Amino acid sequence: MLNKKPKQVDTSLRQFIKDLGYISGGAALLATTPWLQSFTPDKAKEIKSEKARIGFIGTGSRGQYSIHAVLAIPHAEIIALCDNYAPNLQTASELCPKAKTYTDYRKMLESSDIDGVIISTPLYLHAPMTLDALAAGKHVYCEKAMALTMDQCKSVYDAYQNTDKVLYFCMQRMFDEKYIKGMQMIHSGLIGDIVGERCHWFRNNDWRRPLPSPALERQINWRLYREYSGGLMTELASHQLEVCCWAMQKVPESVIGVGDIVNWKDGREVYDSVNLVYRYNNGVKINYESLISNKFNGMEDQILGNKGTMNLATGIYCFEEEANVKKSGIEQLINQIGNKIYASVPAAGPSWRPETKEKFTPYNILEGEFQVNDGLSMVGALKDGSDEILSSFCQACITGEKGKNIVEEAYLATMLCHLGNQSISEQKKITFPEEYKIPYMKFS
Amino acid sequence: MFHGSLINIMGTRFDILITGKSKPESDSLWDKIVSELWQLDKKLNRFDPSSELSRINQNASIKSISVTPEMWSILDSCKQYNRQTFGLFDITLKDFSKVILSESDKSIFFTQPDITLDLGGYAKGYALKKINQYLINAQVQNCFVDFGNSSILCIGHHPYGDSWKVSIPNPFNPSENLDEISLKDEAMSVSGNTPTYSGHIVRPDSKEVVIERKVTSITSSDPLEAEILSTTFMIANEEEKKRLSENFEIKSFTEYCL
Repeated sequence: MLNKKPKQVDTSLRQFIKDLGYISGGAALLATTPWLQSFTPDKAKEIKSEKARIGFIGTGSRGQYSIHAVLAIPHAEIIALCDNYAPNLQTASELCPKAKTYTDYRKMLESSDIDGVIISTPLYLHAPMTLDALAAGKHVYCEKAMALTMDQCKSVYDAYQNTDKVLYFCMQRMFDEKYIKGMQMIHSGLIGDIVGERCHWFRNNDWRRPLPSPALERQINWRLYREYSGGLMTELASHQLEVCCWAMQKVPESVIGVGDIVNWKDGREVYDSVNLVYRYNNGVKINYESLISNKFNGMEDQILGNKGTMNLATGIYCFEEEANVKKSGIEQLINQIGNKIYASVPAAGPSWRPETKEKFTPYNILEGEFQVNDGLSMVGALKDGSDEILSSFCQACITGEKGKNIVEEAYLATMLCHLGNQSISEQKKITFPEEYKIPYMKFS
Repeated sequence: MFHGSLINIMGTRFDILITGKSKPESDSLWDKIVSELWQLDKKLNRFDPSSELSRINQNASIKSISVTPEMWSILDSCKQYNRQTFGLFDITLKDFSKVILSESDKSIFFTQPDITLDLGGYAKGYALKKINQYLINAQVQNCFVDFGNSSILCIGHHPYGDSWKVSIPNPFNPSENLDEISLKDEAMSVSGNTPTYSGHIVRPDSKEVVIERKVTSITSSDPLEAEILSTTFMIANEEEKKRLSENFEIKSFTEYCL
C-alpha cells in the first residue's frame, strides 16, 4: 500500500469498471450501481490532463492511508494539509512536502486554490467540517459515519440538497468489486429470495492507540467516548448495515438491541459488545453482532436466500441444495499446491463427518485473486474499494458531477447505527422516525 | 496453474488441474473439454428423454434404430468389452445377447422388450479417454483430472513431487486411508459400496447384488478400461479375476475388504 507506483490506482479504477462491464454488460451494471456512472473509461479520458487540487483535513492513521492513495492518483494533487495534532501533520507533510499546512481547517477553507477536501477526523467533527466546507464552496469527501447525531445527519443531508458541490462519504463497499458483483448475483435471483441477513465484526483488541501523554487520551482515543463517537455501531456496523439495505433494496422499519461493556472496562464509554436485530416490513431481519474481545468469527456480511448464501466479505457464495456435497479432492490438491505441499488427494471416499454444520460447496464471486478483508486492521483493508472511491471523488472534483446515491446510502446507514444505539440505551424497540425518512428510502 | 470445474455433468462433478500452460492455452483447452463433456452428457444421459441413448431405450425393442457414428463406436466397444469380460461388463445389466448390432446400417435392435442400456459404468471412462487425447494433443505435460472422485486421470507429476498421489479413504471409517497410490501417465478408477450407497452393483447373469463391504481400485494407462474393470472386478469371482487380469493390460488391481 505504501509504495504504490503512481499509475496503479488510476489504472485500477478504469480496469475495475471495465472488468465489471465485461462481466455483466455495462448498461445493466450501471443501472443497478448508478454511482459508477460517472466513472466509465470514456469519462476518465475527458479529465486526462486535469488535476483535482485536494486539501486534507485530518492526517491521522486513516488520513495518511488516504494520502498514500491520493498520491498515486494521476488526476489529483495534494496542495493542503490540516491537523491540530502536530506529530500527524508533520508525518503528512513529509509525504506531501509541497502541500501548505494548516492547524485551523477554517483557514484552509479560505484558500481558493482548493477544489475538494478529504475529511478524516473524529466522528463528532464530520458534520461541522462538512457543512463548513460545502459552505466554503469545496467538494467534500468525508470518512464514515456521516455524523455523530441523527439531527446532524439530517442537516448534512439537507445541505447537500441545496448545493451544487460534490459530497462523498467513504462507503467503500459500494466500490468494492466483489460486493458489486455479489449484489448483481443476489439481484438476479441467484440465491433466491432474501430471508435473512447476518453481519458480524469480531476483533480481539482494546481499540486503543498509543498515547504520547495521558492528557491526550480523549483526543487520540476519541472512539471510546460517547461525546465524539458512536462506538462499534458508527465505526464498524455502518458499512455492514449499508450492505444489508443494498442487498434488500429497502430499509428496516425497526430495531431492537442490547449493548454492554463486557471485557474492556478501562473507563471507556462505548460498548465493546453489541447485538441488534433490525426488522424489515416483510419480517426479514438483520442480525448484527460486534464483539471486540474474541476474534474467532472475524468479519462477515452474509445475505441468506432461500436457495443460497452470499458471503460478501469473504467473496464466496453457496447453494442450499449443495449442502454436504462431497468436497472434491481437487480443492484439497489446489490448497496443497498453494502451500507447496506434496501429498495425496482422497478419491472415492464419502466425506461424511460428524459435524453440526453442514459443508457447502463454495464458489468465488470473482475469478482469479482477490482481497479478503479479515476485519482486523484498524486503519483500513487493502483493495476494499477505498482506493476506487477516492479516485472517483478526485475525478468528481474536476467534473463537478455528483455521485449518485452515495450520500443517501451513507445517511441511511448512519441513521440505522444511531437508531441501534438509541434502542440499546433506551432498552426498547425503536421504529424509524418519520421526521428522518428521506424520499430515497423504501420501507415496504 | 489452471483449474477448470463443472459442477453438474454426467450426474457428478468434473475437475481438471493443469500446470505449466499459459492461461490462453488452458482456456482454449478447457473450452474444448467443456463442449465435449456437454456433448457426451446430451448423448449418453439415460435420464434425459431427448438423449440419443433414451431414443434407443424407448424404441429399439419396437424397431431397429439407426445411431450416430459415435454411438455406434460406443456400442461396438461395449459389445467387445462384454465378450472380453465373459459377460461381466454388461450395459443392459441383464443380458447383452438380446442386443443386436447391425454393422451394415449401424443400427441397434433389442430382441426382448424390457431391455434398456445404462452407460453408468462406461461414460466417465469414455469421456476421460477422449479428454486424455485432447491433453496429449495439446502437449500438456502435467495434469490432474478428477471425474466424480472415483475416476482419476493423471499426466506427468505434481509440481512438488514426481507423480500425483491419490489416497483411498475407507468409506466405513473416513479417518482411515486404505491405500495411497502414486499415479503418473495413467488412470485410476475406484468402485465400492459405502454406508449410504450400496446395492448399486449387480452381477448381470445371476442378478446377484454385491453387498460385501469392499472397494476395488484399478490403474491402467487406458481410462476407459480402468472404468470398466473397477466395477467388473467388484462382481468377479476369484477365477474370473485371474482371467480378467490375463485379458487386460492392467497396471494394478487392489481389492480392499472392509
